[in-house]
Amino acid sequence: MSLASGPGVAGSLSLPEELQLAIEPHVKYIQSLDSRRDELEYWLTEHLRLNGLYWGLTALHLLGRPDALPRDQTIQFVLSCQHENGGFGAAPGHDAHLLYTCSAIQILAMIDAFDVLDEKGKGEGGGREGVGKYISSLQNQTTGTFAGDEWGEEDTRFIYTALNALSLLSMLDIVNVDRAVEYIISCENFDGGYGVSPAAESHSGQIFACLGALSIANRMDTVNVDKLGRWLSERQVEAGGLNGRPEKQEDVCYSWWVASSLTMIHKLHWIDGKKLTNFILKCQDPKEGGFADRPGDMVDVFHTCFGVAGLALLEFPGLEEIDAR
Amino acid sequence: MASHGVARPATTILRSAEELQAEQAEIREYQDLENRIQANIAARNYTVEVLELTSKLLKKNPEYYTIWNVRRRLLIYGLFSKSSDSSSPSKGSQSTSPIVTTQTSSIPSSASALGTLKALDATQLDPESPNHGKNGTILDIIRADLEFLFPIMIKYPKCYWLWNYRLWLLQQANERLDPGITRGLWEREMILVGKMLVKDSRNFHGWGYRRKVVSELESEKLHGRSMVEPEFEYTTKMIHGQNGLSNFSAWHRRSKLIPRLLEERNADDATRRHFLKDEFDLVISAMYTDSYPYAQSAWFYYQFLMTTLTEYIGHATITPNFTQVGRIEYVGCQLSILKEMLDGAEDCKWIYDALVEYTMTLARMEERELCEGEREDCKLWLVELSKLDVLRTGRWDDLGLIFSKSP
Ligand SMILES: [Zn+2]
Repeated sequence: MSLASGPGVAGSLSLPEELQLAIEPHVKYIQSLDSRRDELEYWLTEHLRLNGLYWGLTALHLLGRPDALPRDQTIQFVLSCQHENGGFGAAPGHDAHLLYTCSAIQILAMIDAFDVLDEKGKGEGGGREGVGKYISSLQNQTTGTFAGDEWGEEDTRFIYTALNALSLLSMLDIVNVDRAVEYIISCENFDGGYGVSPAAESHSGQIFACLGALSIANRMDTVNVDKLGRWLSERQVEAGGLNGRPEKQEDVCYSWWVASSLTMIHKLHWIDGKKLTNFILKCQDPKEGGFADRPGDMVDVFHTCFGVAGLALLEFPGLEEIDAR
Repeated sequence: MASHGVARPATTILRSAEELQAEQAEIREYQDLENRIQANIAARNYTVEVLELTSKLLKKNPEYYTIWNVRRRLLIYGLFSKSSDSSSPSKGSQSTSPIVTTQTSSIPSSASALGTLKALDATQLDPESPNHGKNGTILDIIRADLEFLFPIMIKYPKCYWLWNYRLWLLQQANERLDPGITRGLWEREMILVGKMLVKDSRNFHGWGYRRKVVSELESEKLHGRSMVEPEFEYTTKMIHGQNGLSNFSAWHRRSKLIPRLLEERNADDATRRHFLKDEFDLVISAMYTDSYPYAQSAWFYYQFLMTTLTEYIGHATITPNFTQVGRIEYVGCQLSILKEMLDGAEDCKWIYDALVEYTMTLARMEERELCEGEREDCKLWLVELSKLDVLRTGRWDDLGLIFSKSP
């Protein structure tokens, strides 16, 4: 799956058509991504191949076309990204990292292929166990947080990716969930949001990750719902889109980070869903398929996934239901 | 991530055969570079030449995280250990560096082959220093690498891997060099991050990096001392700079520095009370002077200041010795100020939002139900909010439920 942007351009048609969801073009766009090897951009985005596959596949599932990518090839590609230590890289030959390991597990879970992982997976003990051990090896035993890889960078995103993958593998018990929760609480700010580490500014992407982790850990009781709901609802700007932090530009990917966070605290009705829907629809290229960050920009599979997911969250007709935990 | 803010013309531009050919040539060149790096790493050739190949590739694609890792391995297993055999790598044992079992790389003659290194700051490289001879070459490598990164960071300021790699490099300096020398490196980082934040005053990588650099410079191992005062000064400067009032990153940082600042000043109760008043004055004047009067950053900072009074348990406080009566009085005063602010700013939703919130808070602090007058006020303010801010009607409706219930 390529993450190369283009060729589509968002919002190039007149208004009435923009308000439709161009399902078929989106499916075709995602299917075409792997056949663009003659473009430099395809090669420059190889470090996102596995995520790209996850984003494309998620969009296809929501669009009601889960079989639009060949299952066998998908499994084969995912397993070809695995390292001897059990972790996955972005593509064959790329180093293992928690972000890609989580994408790999999400893909295998989505297409119900854990049995193949059990049969062919690498890592200590092989199969699910091999992956689980890689993930647990990245937890900081003192603080409870997780590093992204062997080089030690820590970020609240990694707590979510670790817990999410382990929960899909039914292996949450092999890490210290309580300590991870304590760490997340230490990242909470006066506005109810969470940052990348203690003392860091609240950021919608990190909030999504922290709420996702708390939700998996069954500790949503620790969240200050009113404050966070206020801050999140203020992410919606006049154009209907959502931004990631105060006084920043709106962007389709935040439709997902913010709206799913609001859903997790049961406050999605605190923003104008209709205006958000229209904003997301204006970011699609109805002819060539795909979504961009903003109307008029180049489309890519990342924004396509989160555009479709945002619409699904807003219960746009024709899309599969989404479980935002 | 993929493409943010990349505009494209409304019609697809058809490219000439030459352009398409040029792209194919570029792909081949890129793949060739990749293959050469991989082949060299497989053969454990941890040399300056291979390092330069990675430089070439990373300039084309700084998101290629595996190549940053290759570069780390080149340094740890090759260039560092070869350039200074007296520097003990075991000092790096606290780091998560992986362990290598074999080393058969050719020895680079000198790290000065890295070139591009600018003249070193003479004060940081005292020739009398006993560590100079031992550490010189590792220092050269690290300095050259920091230089190499800078233009790429200017070009790609939001690339996570770049910031991480830079931090890792400096941590290598911590582990391998004399603290006096390392301190000089970290001090230069303050200048770098200052420049990055001038370019984009909201870059959260930049703010995060700044926090890390400061905590290193404050650390005992680098013979540091507190930088709370200059850092607080920095946020003041940022807030008064261009678009500073809507720079929530600066306000946020300020909120985190204040408790430590007052502690280190040994501020007594009167000083603290005065400080709180000054902060309220600053933020309220920001609300009035902002060219876009209803910008939200100042209002979130206002929320922070109020939180220090209303939720003082387990949260940052400015005036810890305030009595409950004192706090209640203060919140009451703020309510009066907010009401005054409405005069001439009847279309500012933030004032109504704050009025509703702190009216409820006041009753809670006084452990009583809302009185009839407050209830009616809140209802009226919510009517204004529903008119002024239709996007968030759902929130105003939810709040309305609180006041429609009988006491
Ligand atoms: Zn985006």
